[in-house]
Amino acid sequence: MKLIKYKRSREAERWMKQETREQKARYRKIVSEQDALSSRRDKWIADFLERIQTRGFNVHADVLRKIPREKIPKKPKRKFKVVF
Amino acid sequence: MARAHIEPYVETNVAWKRMTLPGFGKGMRYKMLSFDTDTGACSMKVMFEPGYQLPPGMSYSEMEMFVLSGSLTIGETVHGPGAYFFVPAGVCMPALVAPRGAQVLMYYNYGEPSFVESDSDHPDAERHRYTAVNAYDDLSWTSTNFYPATASGCLVKVLKFDERTQAFTFLYCMTPNFWQDNISYHDCAEESYHIWGGGYFWRPPYINHGAFACKNGTLALGRTDSQLYNHFHFNPWTTAEENLSRAASRIQHWKPELYEWVATGDHNHPVDFEYPDSHGHAHGDVPHHHGNHDYGHSHGPGRRRVRRKK
Repeated sequence: MKLIKYKRSREAERWMKQETREQKARYRKIVSEQDALSSRRDKWIADFLERIQTRGFNVHADVLRKIPREKIPKKPKRKFKVVF
Repeated sequence: MARAHIEPYVETNVAWKRMTLPGFGKGMRYKMLSFDTDTGACSMKVMFEPGYQLPPGMSYSEMEMFVLSGSLTIGETVHGPGAYFFVPAGVCMPALVAPRGAQVLMYYNYGEPSFVESDSDHPDAERHRYTAVNAYDDLSWTSTNFYPATASGCLVKVLKFDERTQAFTFLYCMTPNFWQDNISYHDCAEESYHIWGGGYFWRPPYINHGAFACKNGTLALGRTDSQLYNHFHFNPWTTAEENLSRAASRIQHWKPELYEWVATGDHNHPVDFEYPDSHGHAHGDVPHHHGNHDYGHSHGPGRRRVRRKK
């Protein structure tokens, strides 16, 4: 039993509406902040793709496998979505 | 989506709000970390002001609580930092007092925060599932026992484990200079609050994260809503839909007989003999099965349900 059936009070309904508004605002702010990082993110990704060719990719725990250049993924044309 | 992807979020500069929901009384303030807009389920950082009191009572929703700082007297026992409680819905907790104040994490997993004064459990309460442990004092660090594993330097203490869903709540740490060069996603929602620093995320399933690096070390409380499997890969640009499809495809190779049985129209009513009243209905969700071939294929608009020969 994870939830016992109950009737939500008016106070709780009001509280839910307020929290819903705030959650949407919190989400929009995070999306905006993450979008602003796109150029720095491109650099981080380039560094990561370089490291997995030279030092290796963590397949399991500390087991590393170097990825050949031809297996390195190419950036797609679609917009990179960070926050879902 | 009922609970949006909240990542990254830092609550340290966010103002405390007064808790106004019925039953909680005066002296309880909170910061909302993430919130399910459909059910009211939520994760909050809570401050009990010095002298805060709550009489004996229960919540309609399953609830978890972790003491970050200060102390709480619950019944006659004092609980300091690291104290963790898993309280099933309807389980009555003794009176709670915060003589000098306390800060805690509170998670209401299936409904908005609720409190009903009561001296006894609700008739539907599952008291045997109640858990109380001090994460700092009572448990030892272990390596992560899920494979493929995280890199060395990530250690966990499992505080609560649901044997049916494999959802778990865990304290984890990463040593200074921890690093792990891969991209990961999981089949579960994952949540974490960084006890050192106040960072937080709620991440729905199949969303890429990584690569990983931790300069100064981390101590955090993590939670999942089902089994955590590390789907590692090295493509930073895949979508959640592509990740989900990859995960489903992998199940076909990990558990081919089970996959075929579940995915076949005639046999897709999985029943757990330990939970006979609750079983899956996959009719229509999984309309066909192609066997174990390994080549790509696509479906036109006129796809048909394929049944196994008996």
